[in-house]
Amino acid sequence: MSPPAARDDNLGWYLYGVLAGDGRLPKLHASGVAVDRAHEVELLVEGPLAAIVSRVSLQEFDETTLPERLADAAWLEQKIRAHEQVLDRVLDEASIVPCRFCTVYRSEAELRRFLSERKEALQAALDRVQGQVEVGVKAFVDRERFSAGQATRNEKVRKLQAKASAAEGGRAYLERRRLERLIASEVERFRSQAGREIHSRLQGVSVDGLPLALQAAEVSGRDDEMFFHGAYLVGARESAFEAAVGTLAEDYRDAGVEFELTGPWPPYNFVPAQLRAS
Amino acid sequence: MSVRDEHELKYQVTLVELVDRVLNKGVVLTGDITLSVADVDLVYVGLRVLLSSVATLEEQREISAAGAQL
Repeated sequence: MSPPAARDDNLGWYLYGVLAGDGRLPKLHASGVAVDRAHEVELLVEGPLAAIVSRVSLQEFDETTLPERLADAAWLEQKIRAHEQVLDRVLDEASIVPCRFCTVYRSEAELRRFLSERKEALQAALDRVQGQVEVGVKAFVDRERFSAGQATRNEKVRKLQAKASAAEGGRAYLERRRLERLIASEVERFRSQAGREIHSRLQGVSVDGLPLALQAAEVSGRDDEMFFHGAYLVGARESAFEAAVGTLAEDYRDAGVEFELTGPWPPYNFVPAQLRAS
Repeated sequence: MSVRDEHELKYQVTLVELVDRVLNKGVVLTGDITLSVADVDLVYVGLRVLLSSVATLEEQREISAAGAQL
């Protein structure tokens, strides 16, 4: 039995992402995590595609009230986490083309029409990420550990250090300043050189990769400086990528570098933003 | 003294990274019949609110500037 029409009018369809709908559909282990907890996540099959959706209250998600909701940090955080959690549960089972936050349709017919109009572009996007997930890589350099490493390996740094410790008074101050400037420029050189090498080595063990914006210490939550941030498309069941990051961590440890991985993510950075209608 | 060697590779998902991906990336399926916050001004409103506790002044200025252009 279908629910009363009046109630249905107030419900929209929240679209989390799209997966292939022509094979065996994945089991959803996403009970109780939808953006609107009153409803469950479901798969809606349209032709060769399956949409990961859940019903949402249009009062909560209406475009007229949405700006107000978006200004509410608690609301926003809860919904963003729900969006991600739903996709995260599905990601274990299937390859996903993730949709942007708050993609909401007023009716099932509209949702189906959109899926069918963009069928080819969605399929192409799905083909590209088939069997793949996104992994984020961040690298940080600790200035003190970097300097300590330079003191043993860099001839110029070693000489200046010796001069600074041998000098006295104002002379010592000047030598120390020179040393600081030298270290700063060596850090800069290292940042760009190491960043390039890390990216190129990671591209060698991934399908695709791209640099992301660096995060300031306040955002990264770390004291050391982020000098590298990238996203990579890697095989969901492969360990080669993680092993490569492990090797990088070994190679760069003496330079005072630490790596962090994030994910696995739905391939947010490897799907087109806009899809053309067929 | 530390046992961090084994744990240097960490999988960490911060809210900032979540926001960057969920709000700024992913497929946008818009049209006049769709409700969507893909419109950048709305996204930036939310992003500014969410990051205000952690973002640097510089980033906030960037976000404000991007929002003001719309």
